[in-house]
Amino acid sequence: MKSYNDRTHLFGRIWDVIAIVVLLSIPILISNHLGVHPEVKYILKGLGPVAALFYPTAVIEIITYTPMLGAGATYLSFVTGNITNLKMPCGLNALENNNVSITSDEGEVIATIAVGVSAIVTTVIIAVGVVAFTPILPKITQSPVLAPAFQQVTTALFGALGISYFMKHWRISIIPVATIILVLLFAGTLGVGVLIPVGVVVSLVSAHLLFKAGKA
Amino acid sequence: MDFKSDGFMYMLGFGVVAFILFQSIFFIVRAWKRAKELGISTSSLKKTVVSSALFTVAPALAIVATVLTLSGALGTVLPWIRLTVIGAISYEVPAATSAIEAFGGTGGLSAEITDPTVFATIAWVMTLGSILPLFLIPFLLKKIQSKVGKVASNNQKWADTMAAAAFIGLIAAFIGKAVMGKGDKAVKGDGAGVLSLVTLISSMLYMLIFQLIVKKGNIKWLEPFAMPLSMILAMGTAVLAAQLLPESVAYFEWRG
Repeated sequence: MKSYNDRTHLFGRIWDVIAIVVLLSIPILISNHLGVHPEVKYILKGLGPVAALFYPTAVIEIITYTPMLGAGATYLSFVTGNITNLKMPCGLNALENNNVSITSDEGEVIATIAVGVSAIVTTVIIAVGVVAFTPILPKITQSPVLAPAFQQVTTALFGALGISYFMKHWRISIIPVATIILVLLFAGTLGVGVLIPVGVVVSLVSAHLLFKAGKA
Repeated sequence: MDFKSDGFMYMLGFGVVAFILFQSIFFIVRAWKRAKELGISTSSLKKTVVSSALFTVAPALAIVATVLTLSGALGTVLPWIRLTVIGAISYEVPAATSAIEAFGGTGGLSAEITDPTVFATIAWVMTLGSILPLFLIPFLLKKIQSKVGKVASNNQKWADTMAAAAFIGLIAAFIGKAVMGKGDKAVKGDGAGVLSLVTLISSMLYMLIFQLIVKKGNIKWLEPFAMPLSMILAMGTAVLAAQLLPESVAYFEWRG
């Protein structure tokens, strides 16, 4: 009999293929509905710069996030999107609250439940937001008084999440944080798409060396 | 009726929503059953659900805000669909802008798209630009996982340290942006400055206070709320700082 993990991969792949079909059907159906069929050269012209930037990022994201999220949560995250700003921190928070590591069986299921719940709540909030509150939402999200709150949502999220990790693992936290700040000092406009792989690699290498030296 | 927000587009939107809900429920049910086999208590699982749901509210509202910022040019439905499947703001704006530029447009998303061909092209570029992970995951994920699993089973303590280190690397990228990141000169409050630092420090302090209350008062039920509450309180603190401090101070960004 196949293990839970093997079946997760089997089901994950099936859902992945369905997601590809769903995703591709969107522009096909829109084109058919509108009775327009954009020329391939325009699509490729538009796609070129985007693919050059985001295709390599996609490969890096898969390699970076998979070991952090586990199988079930990764399959879900890559279909539902908003990984760095939502699914990943949500999974980390659940692992931290339950005091389990993603490398354990318990961590795998906890991360899957957390990311699944997060995907449902996000989908419902966006749908309700779009359908029911479109007329009043700009007043909330774009009101000059509340604007700073929404502008700082990522900082608030990673500050609260970060401190738990920093307190528990302060020895291995100093080098990656200092490195990122130093990098930004010279190249302040670098996006998180570049900074995340840099931070993760520096953090892994320095933590490995500190572990070997018995100081992690 | 505007073709970007007609009944057909809404039908597409709800179809995508149904797909995401089915998939998520499917994975949750499997994981829940497995968790029971592993002996994880129902109360721990319920806490995980509540905490994850609460945690999601504020970022999800920020995503709704993103849908609205894109809706001026694209209507509400296409951004809604895109941000429900794979989407992320950092990707959708450049994809849509690049598609508009393919037709010689230079204003990006500042003006409403009224040409159905341009609109359909945008839908194609947004889709094709983000679909690659779905083609790669079936081949890569299991291999990466089995390698990680082998290493982890050989040295659990090292593996746990490395897992924590990877998270810290990710968190460092965002903390670094809040401390030293440059924003867009034309946008007020998007770079590292007084507001980002006030938010960062306050979110950390709130989290520490909640953890202390949980520990000292032995108030276990508060634990899953600590993270989302700290986040929302820190966002509230940013609003307060913007209101109470002189504008030149509150919106001061040291990197511009």
